Amino acid sequence: MNQMSFVAGQPPGVPPAPVAFSGNRGRFLSLASRGAALELVTFGFYRFWLVTDIRRHLWSHTLVDGDAPEYTGRGRELLVGFLFAMAILVPIYLVYFVIGIEAERFKAFASVPLVIGFYAFGQFAIYRARRYRLTRTVWRGVRFWMDGSGWAYAWRSMLWGLLVLVTLGGAYAWREAALERYKMHHSHYGDLQGSFEGRGWELFKRTWGLWLFGPVAWIIFPLLPIFYAEFKAREWRWWLCGIRFGDVRLESKLPNTALYGLYWKVIGWFLLFDLVIGAYVALCVFLLKGSGPMEAAMQALPKNIPFMVLLVIGYLAFILAFNVVMRLYFQRDLWARVASSTKVHAIESAENVTAKGEAASALGEGFADGLDVAGF
Amino acid sequence: MEFTANTAEQAAPDPVRSAVYYDGKSSRKRTVVLAFGDKLVISGEGLPSESWDYADIRRADGAPGVLRVSCLSASPLARLEIRDATLAADLESRCARLGDNSLDGRSIARIVGWSLAAAASIVLVILFAIPLAADRLTPLVPASFERRLGDAADAQMKAVFGGHACKAEAGQAALVKLVDALRKSSGLDLAVEPAVLDTPIPNAFALPGGKVYLLKGLLAKADDPDEIAGVLAHELGHLAHRDSVREVIYNGGTSFLVGLLFGDVTGSSTLIFASRSLVTATYSREAEQNADSFAIEVMQRLGRSPKPMGELLFRVTGKEGDNPLSILASHPLTEDRLKRMSELDRQAAGPPLLTRTEWTELKSICGPVSKT
Ligand SMILES: [Zn+2]
Repeated sequence: MNQMSFVAGQPPGVPPAPVAFSGNRGRFLSLASRGAALELVTFGFYRFWLVTDIRRHLWSHTLVDGDAPEYTGRGRELLVGFLFAMAILVPIYLVYFVIGIEAERFKAFASVPLVIGFYAFGQFAIYRARRYRLTRTVWRGVRFWMDGSGWAYAWRSMLWGLLVLVTLGGAYAWREAALERYKMHHSHYGDLQGSFEGRGWELFKRTWGLWLFGPVAWIIFPLLPIFYAEFKAREWRWWLCGIRFGDVRLESKLPNTALYGLYWKVIGWFLLFDLVIGAYVALCVFLLKGSGPMEAAMQALPKNIPFMVLLVIGYLAFILAFNVVMRLYFQRDLWARVASSTKVHAIESAENVTAKGEAASALGEGFADGLDVAGF
Repeated sequence: MEFTANTAEQAAPDPVRSAVYYDGKSSRKRTVVLAFGDKLVISGEGLPSESWDYADIRRADGAPGVLRVSCLSASPLARLEIRDATLAADLESRCARLGDNSLDGRSIARIVGWSLAAAASIVLVILFAIPLAADRLTPLVPASFERRLGDAADAQMKAVFGGHACKAEAGQAALVKLVDALRKSSGLDLAVEPAVLDTPIPNAFALPGGKVYLLKGLLAKADDPDEIAGVLAHELGHLAHRDSVREVIYNGGTSFLVGLLFGDVTGSSTLIFASRSLVTATYSREAEQNADSFAIEVMQRLGRSPKPMGELLFRVTGKEGDNPLSILASHPLTEDRLKRMSELDRQAAGPPLLTRTEWTELKSICGPVSKT
């Protein structure tokens, strides 16, 4: 037994390859701000291109062993995927509506199973959306790809979800592990097959305290972001440490407290924006309220067109600014922190991987958009 | 012209001319030498020499400080990476269409243009196609579903208006008599359950399935049974036309379409709500007009004038035309309604709908009235 035995499977002398994030925060900020403005002008349709721009930025500034992956997806693909998804979802929605009414005729709440059907569809969408993103990720000229079935995943997700419900969240860790195993087992980098070594028990051991005292945080409200940030950091670390591609494995040293700041800053910005919009509305009221008794003047305000226009402008500015803040902290900063905490072991075994796998369609992303589910 | 240089001659590659190449078939990192001739020639040890047309070379995303390019006519994932700034600039100057893949101002303008067109067509669908669909679908909705809708709305309404139903027996009897007279005259085949809610708000509404609520505030402002009768007849009109069901279908459709537009923009639910209220206002104005016609017809059949109803509404709201936002109101302007009902005014031919005593009882259904 030698001194190095605590890092099993690693030949001495080959240090792990670092992951670094080199993205400029100002550039991301301007990208997100411009995107938010364009989203407004295009009634939200620009979201497909904005999401693409953000992913391209994040991927291309993440250096894995000195080389950045490339995101090859395009906004137009997402738009087409979305339109196809809508063409499929609209008739389903209509049938759902009619069946729902018929079911309710016989028995109240008889339409509940239909809602579960939509949940399953959402899980399917999450799986297929992940597949799209993965197959658009290229590193050193070789694509990541995914097989497996979205419906098989949805089934697993539903059954595990039921178990989580029955155990009041206690089974969450095992659900995550099982679903991640399915996803990673069907993920590939060229001819390297992925797998997931994280155990449910490991995640449970790291998070049971938060699960147990979670209800306390709901009562003592300021504890909630701390609990959540702590939980997320532990979960990220567990997830990253479980990822394998062939012999390649990841290791994360993300500190438990790494994400505290993100949540507090977003809350801080939100409160600040609230103050600003409050002051703005007060200013509008002050400038535009008519003369006469206070009450009558206040009642006349909703009928004052300039006032209403100013109000709408203020509201839109608020939404846009908050969208930018959310993307900056929860996408860019989170990514940067998680990525730079990561190391890749045995990357030399990926030095000569044969390319394999095709790019998947963006239909899954379209479903995810149409059903309002998000997955990472 | 053919590049014939022997790779052996360049065994010690000129550091400035060297780049990293991935052939797109494996992840193997190869150091290659570039030569700029008619085409870009990439050669390296153990590698068949590749030549790329400058016009086919496109920029791919790379880390800062690295020029990463692909070639349309080569393997789609083949990548050339140049870290040396001078060499990168040299290649960039030769590739005229390097940036064709990127989103420039023109393509963004095109996205904006198409988005506006899509938004316009969605608005047209909301204004014309969905009302039509709602009209066609409403008769297909079973009455039992409508009743369940009403029960759900009932609990909500009572919570919103905070009122409980007034229980004075004689008053309730007068109310039932009044509603029954209206219902019979209209030929409405539905069990109607009227009640007065104890709240100062001057209003009245009908719920799908047959509940009709008169709020005490409106009753207090009424001087004559015909005024209240007109309002109740208007509410029966909504029931007869099944306006609630139609509205559910219409609102569902518009929410869905407006939701399509804004998608995942945070706070979009408010945007959806706001823009929907804007478009539904037009739609419900028409429903109100039809309910008014229904009320006028019922009153005339009973030999009573519809004018008092208009007067009561005018007393409650005052003149509305001064309000520049009146276009957004869900009801027609009160002065227009009053005008319409006044034009149809005529001497009462039928018997009064309630006796003096019954009217007094109805007025005090929620307890004695303080006003004389
Ligand atoms: Zn009405």
